Amino acid sequence: MHIPTLAPDTIFRLGDFPITNTMINAWIAILIFLILGIIIKKRVSLKPSKIQNFIEYFLDILLNYFDQVTGDRKKTMRFLPLVGSVFFFILISNWIGLLPGIGSITWDNKMLFRPSNTDLNLTVAMALTSVFLSHIMGLFAVGFFAYLNKFVQIGSLVKSFRKGPIAIFTAIIELAVGFLEIISEMAKVLSLSLRLFGNIFAGEVLMSVMISLVAFLVPTPFMLLEVLVGVIQAGVFSMLTLVYLTVATSKPHGEET
Amino acid sequence: MFLNLIDMALASEESAEVSGELASIANESVLTGLGINGSMFLAQLVNFAVVSAILWFLILKPITKKMAERQKMIDDSIANSKKIDENLSKSEKSYQEKIDMAKVEANKIMEKANCEASQTADVLKAKAKKEIEGVVEQARRNIQIEKEEVMLGLKKETADLMILALEKILNEKIDLKKDKELIENALKGVKD
Repeated sequence: MHIPTLAPDTIFRLGDFPITNTMINAWIAILIFLILGIIIKKRVSLKPSKIQNFIEYFLDILLNYFDQVTGDRKKTMRFLPLVGSVFFFILISNWIGLLPGIGSITWDNKMLFRPSNTDLNLTVAMALTSVFLSHIMGLFAVGFFAYLNKFVQIGSLVKSFRKGPIAIFTAIIELAVGFLEIISEMAKVLSLSLRLFGNIFAGEVLMSVMISLVAFLVPTPFMLLEVLVGVIQAGVFSMLTLVYLTVATSKPHGEET
Repeated sequence: MFLNLIDMALASEESAEVSGELASIANESVLTGLGINGSMFLAQLVNFAVVSAILWFLILKPITKKMAERQKMIDDSIANSKKIDENLSKSEKSYQEKIDMAKVEANKIMEKANCEASQTADVLKAKAKKEIEGVVEQARRNIQIEKEEVMLGLKKETADLMILALEKILNEKIDLKKDKELIENALKGVKD
């Protein structure tokens, strides 16, 4: 029985740079997207082909879900490059992890392929990108000082001195809440990355254990479960990213006219 | 006493440094245990950026663009069909209005024509009546003239016949003076 370790295994090195099994899986996903992308880019037309029709159908469902969060198709389209990429990359990466050979083919007693989302580096990279871009978009959408005032509410504190002791007290509390907001922003990165990593890693461990115990038929329901987990985790990550983007780009309370 | 205090302070500083180092080592080992690595993180960040670029520029952007184009085409078609429907209903309305106007116009013309026809008929009737009366009058006059002519002719003929008859009866040729007297007497008798 080969239980995967928390850290991905280094398969080979390019100079000093380690190439891990999760990275190979990420490259496989990139290759799939590249081939699919070239085909679609060449064939895309108003009268859709079968592949285009399928992707459009899937994308349309996704956009409708996104619209429910953003409440506006224009906003959805603005966030689609990031959120769509996150969704499809996580989905395909998770499903690639279920293909035969992933986790079972070994090289030098190490797994040659391993689901890319079982690498905390990738999940942290995606989470950090999502949260960072949400702040950047928020800055552009709301304005620098208004956005900064969400976290460090010194402006409100200064204004409160003219209004009296209760306003000062409220402003101090808001200032403290602002610091909590900063901590919650860090928590966003942690929760996003660890949730995805934990779910996919746990699934990989479960599959490894089940396949080791009984190789035939018994792992099938768990594989189906993993298919579902793949979709759910992609959905959760992308939806949360979308929520962060929507919240960051909406005006803070009291600023709306 | 004072030196002891300094020693104690130095010792506490050293222990703090050691505990800090231990904590950083522990943190590093946790991160290493989880597989977090600076270069790996950067590599995965690049991977994600590449995926995002491929997905957006080769798949999502062209497809969403085509979807938007198709949506626009559908919207335009619907708007056009609405316009066509509106134009059609307008045309139908205008056609109906024109038909109604034409009907009204036709009725007016018919009424006018009837009126004119009736007037013309009356005029013609009166004219015809007048002409007929003229013709009848003319015919009467002609008849009178003819009657008079016939009467004259008849008188002359009768006189001639009477002369012939008398000549035969008398079997003699009387002179012109006697002849005339006889004729006049005969005519008087005829008149009476």
